[in-house]
Amino acid sequence: MSKGSHRELKLLGNAAADFSRKELAPSREENDKYPYGAFFDTVINKAYTIDFFHIILPEDAGGMGQGMAALSVVLEHICQEDSSLGGIIFTCSAAHEIMKAAGSMDVLSQITDVAENVNDFLIAFPVFNNPSEIPHLACARKDGDRYILTGSIEYMVLGNIAAKALVPAKISDDNTFSFFLVDLKDKGISISDPILSLGLHACPATDISFQDVNGILIGEENKGKDYFNAMAEKFHVAAAAMSQGIMKGAFKEALAYTKGRFQGGRQIVNWSEMKMILANMAVKIKVSEMILASATVAVDENGNGWRECAKAAAIHIQELACDLTTDGIQVLGGVGYMKDFGQEKRFRDAKHIQAILGLAPLKKIDYLENFIM
Amino acid sequence: MPSLQAIPKSPRWMIRETQEVIAIARKFNEEVVKPYVLTLDRKMHEDPDYLPWDFVKKANEWGLYTMWIPKLFGGRGYNMASMSVFVEEIGSVCLSMANLIGVHYLGVATLVASWNTRLIDRICRDVVKGEKTGEPCLITLAITEPGAGTDVEEMDLADKGNITCKAEKVPGGYKLNGTKIFISNGHVSVWHMTIAYENLDKPSDATIMVAVKTGMDGFSFGRMEHKMGQKGCPASELIFKDCFVPDDLVAVDTRQIDKLNRSKKDTMQQIIDYVVAATRAGVAGFATGAARGAFDAAIQFAAGTKVNGKLLINHEWAQCMLAEMYKNVSLARISYVETNYANNLFGMYKLLQLKPVYYFLKIVPHFLLDKIAPGFLNKPFMTWVFRKLQLDFQTDEDFHCTSGWGSLAKFSATDLGIKNCHMALEMMGQAGLRHDRYAEKFFRDAKLLQIYEGTNQLNRLNVFKCFMANDYPQAVVFEE
Repeated sequence: MSKGSHRELKLLGNAAADFSRKELAPSREENDKYPYGAFFDTVINKAYTIDFFHIILPEDAGGMGQGMAALSVVLEHICQEDSSLGGIIFTCSAAHEIMKAAGSMDVLSQITDVAENVNDFLIAFPVFNNPSEIPHLACARKDGDRYILTGSIEYMVLGNIAAKALVPAKISDDNTFSFFLVDLKDKGISISDPILSLGLHACPATDISFQDVNGILIGEENKGKDYFNAMAEKFHVAAAAMSQGIMKGAFKEALAYTKGRFQGGRQIVNWSEMKMILANMAVKIKVSEMILASATVAVDENGNGWRECAKAAAIHIQELACDLTTDGIQVLGGVGYMKDFGQEKRFRDAKHIQAILGLAPLKKIDYLENFIM
Repeated sequence: MPSLQAIPKSPRWMIRETQEVIAIARKFNEEVVKPYVLTLDRKMHEDPDYLPWDFVKKANEWGLYTMWIPKLFGGRGYNMASMSVFVEEIGSVCLSMANLIGVHYLGVATLVASWNTRLIDRICRDVVKGEKTGEPCLITLAITEPGAGTDVEEMDLADKGNITCKAEKVPGGYKLNGTKIFISNGHVSVWHMTIAYENLDKPSDATIMVAVKTGMDGFSFGRMEHKMGQKGCPASELIFKDCFVPDDLVAVDTRQIDKLNRSKKDTMQQIIDYVVAATRAGVAGFATGAARGAFDAAIQFAAGTKVNGKLLINHEWAQCMLAEMYKNVSLARISYVETNYANNLFGMYKLLQLKPVYYFLKIVPHFLLDKIAPGFLNKPFMTWVFRKLQLDFQTDEDFHCTSGWGSLAKFSATDLGIKNCHMALEMMGQAGLRHDRYAEKFFRDAKLLQIYEGTNQLNRLNVFKCFMANDYPQAVVFEE
């Protein structure tokens, strides 16, 4: 493999699994209370210390310089227990990737080199919207050498915890947009309270408005779509890995429960309809594993048709995860719907993640238009 | 199709009455539910132990807790089938608030299915009094136990289940010990129709139903569950520790069942089926509401959002998705309407929907009924008459029809409801994730519908049992 040997990936996977088990699983219910409970700063700081935010960041910018296989293996293990941290890693890494695609490594290095803590390091980004589909864009105008931003951006992920944000904005009246880096402490910025959302509660999003805010152009003017697509083409596998992690977590909890719960005097795992549900879950996971493994290798090796593989994998695995997590609750019955178990969170998170990088139905149409027609 | 048989027999006034019910529901939605839906859910996110007394009192003021109590027992006497339509309307805005109203009638239905006219009259008149005094008097059904969900709903499974709620016969009544969980509306209710067992080794022959009142010695509330959705409707733990229930609060027990034609086990299954055949239509009503609410959120988003340069509502794929969602709402609604027709013909609503009975109760003034009825209803003879008519004269085919349709509607409508929630979120993307756009709340709320009142898997098995198994003598259910 070009990026990360099998051994390296295994070590990374073990580290992520260990972290999930020890740091995420015990406080999952508590962490999920955000924004009505405390934010899990300590966990984020630990994840930062062990470089989970540095995986795809190039080595000369202080990162690990790994590929999508490495990012995917970490996200998968983390999302088995709590996808919120997965969402934070995904968002920040996606922002890094856009800056990388735009050739703005110097700007990125200025952030990563001087970051004294995780908040300085994180970059907020509206990762649930594809700006080419639904134009949630700010407006930018050139003022000498500077760009001035006005307007607003909905659902800016990490908007209330990151120091900087990567903002899509329009410069001209056509359908193009550009990316700008802004300092979220700028006095022209107002940030809403964290938005109460379906899932990923501890991966907060906010609405942000800009009033004459300085922005640093990332890459070239009006090339935002190219940069976004360059990132998304790769990051589809990372999104799929998050969904796969959720599926594995849901199946593990479901199987364990069916062995300890009785109905009609028998373990419920021994009723054939229950076996059928569990079998369907297991098949989905195996299929997902095979697809994702092929897709991540294709992406990292720039294999033939890698873009096609990555997108198809994401569309399919995200759908599988939404189906499977419904069954994950169903297997547990009433308790599956309660906060005491992880299934209800996985059900919400799987659906939440299906919306990452844009509308799910449009991803399909885009797949056909770009790769088949 | 039950409708083909039932429509000619149904009183025509029921249509007008159902229209009236819809009008009340819509007015209540505009004035109470819509302004409060997001606030209540946020409150519950913030404080999961919050009790929604403010809403319950408002619903009580509007008379919603007596609307479907028969006029004979002091209620407003709307036809019971119209309750499904009502909860669809409320559920299309908020399933929690729909539950806070609808689940009370699960308690009422359980009480009524005992056909103990004296106790029905006593408790229903408590509800009426609560409406007049402004102190809501809600009723629950307490059946689910920590170790037994499906097992307590199917008598075929009960004897092998892990059932623990014991009723010990003592002089003058029963002593209850045990715990019930997931009791919807528990903390905000006054009466709890509690299922317990005289013999835990053979519960199917030893099931009793008693009425326990909040505040009785030995009865207390435990924890409130912290749920993913339907947060505004508490799911409560009820704890019984040497709780003495006097004989006059026994709705039905094995001694009374002995006087009936069927065995103890079959009679108790018949009583449970009477209840769930009616209330599963209600769950289908909730689900239709959820399907509708998700559809409304999606179409409003599509009508106002440009995607790839043109309004989403003008993309052909989106139009097909919206049509699919519309279809899901319509099919879900048809499923509960058919079930209600089955109940009108053969189930709980049968007596009250007979034209002479229906029109008599409609026409005779409340004050007159209130004066005359309790005297009759308190006579043991009336309980005997009702049990003869409703239990002994109900054929196996009758209750297979109502029970089968109840299950069919329940799993069909709730599956369609959750399907629409998925589709709405897919269509809305990022916007759908936000609490203030409603779709995510419907998604969380609707999932519970596939679980309570028997999981959809149990209901599928019941459809097999009711509609197919009898034609194949070699078929056995719950015994693989």
